[in-house]
Amino acid sequence: MKILVVDDFSTMRRIIKNLLRDLGFTNVSEADDGSTALPMLQNGDFDFVVTDWNMPGMQGIDLLREIRKDESLKHMPVMMVTAEAKKEQIVAAAQAGVNGYIVKPFTAATLKGKLEKIFERLE
Amino acid sequence: MSLETAPQISLEEAKALVAALESGDNTTANTILMGIAAPEQKELFAEVGKLTRQLHDSLSSFQLDPKIANLATDDIPDAKERLSYVMSLTEQAANKTMDAVDASLPLADKINSDISSLKPEWDKLMQRQLELGEFKTLCFSVNEFMETAEKDAAQIHLYMTEIMMAQDFQDLTGQVIKRVIELVKEVEDSLIHLLTVFGEPSRESINEVKAAVDNNGVEGPIIDAETREDAVSNQDEVDDLLSSLGF
Repeated sequence: MKILVVDDFSTMRRIIKNLLRDLGFTNVSEADDGSTALPMLQNGDFDFVVTDWNMPGMQGIDLLREIRKDESLKHMPVMMVTAEAKKEQIVAAAQAGVNGYIVKPFTAATLKGKLEKIFERLE
Repeated sequence: MSLETAPQISLEEAKALVAALESGDNTTANTILMGIAAPEQKELFAEVGKLTRQLHDSLSSFQLDPKIANLATDDIPDAKERLSYVMSLTEQAANKTMDAVDASLPLADKINSDISSLKPEWDKLMQRQLELGEFKTLCFSVNEFMETAEKDAAQIHLYMTEIMMAQDFQDLTGQVIKRVIELVKEVEDSLIHLLTVFGEPSRESINEVKAAVDNNGVEGPIIDAETREDAVSNQDEVDDLLSSLGF
């Protein structure tokens, strides 16, 4: 399974990468905002995206919308891991077709639980 | 002054003044002086009046600028709260990290000391000097060591993960500090505006008060989630909201 982690803070990318490695996902790439992530997704064979919301350049919500618009990417599972905690934002992400939503700060157990849930639904 | 070329007092006035003073007629002398100074005073009063009007206008236009009022009443207290949030997050991270280190070190030390206590018997075994009875004891000790070491190593792994997770403060505080920096910039702009208004009233038109930074609707970490109606305060609330949407 090839995963793309999108976050503008390198510390957070590292944390998520380490957690994913602990869960057995070792093929993880990084991007620092939506506009760098999108071409990577279009040109690569990624299976899963973990993205922040608030980033310079293209925001996570716009990346999600672009993924859902793209014929070859629209079925890609996308999980948001973000500090954005306003109800209207969570609703907007759900409407845009997000597969999971985690608010920062989060625990390793939360990430594990949400990932398992997403993969269960995919099977 | 427009009177650079013309004298401020005419020859007749001067002669009359000198005559009045020489004759000791102070009343007449004073009247002549007042007559000469009056137009000057009028001009001075007009000038002061004009300046007062400008100051008044500048003050009221400054007060009318809602950005300034917001800076003082909302933004600065908000920034103070944000910075306190940064302080408490960094403190939490430091404590979490040190707690995990404190808990890990004895485990690492224990593995080390267990190995040290097994070592002499083990060396004897390697040199084929171990009696059967001793060998049996060693087997049990090694078995026990493997069991506890396995558990302890797993526990150390958990503590290491905790230390790693504690570093998430860098992202969260970074987002908050970015916003405070934006605010400081706004205050700076407003102060420059203030200086422009009062330093050079004629250039009031250079009203360069910047529009509020467009944040695209994002807010970053919610620092007062408990008291906010429009935001969730933990993952459970996110899950509840999503499941209420049939998620």
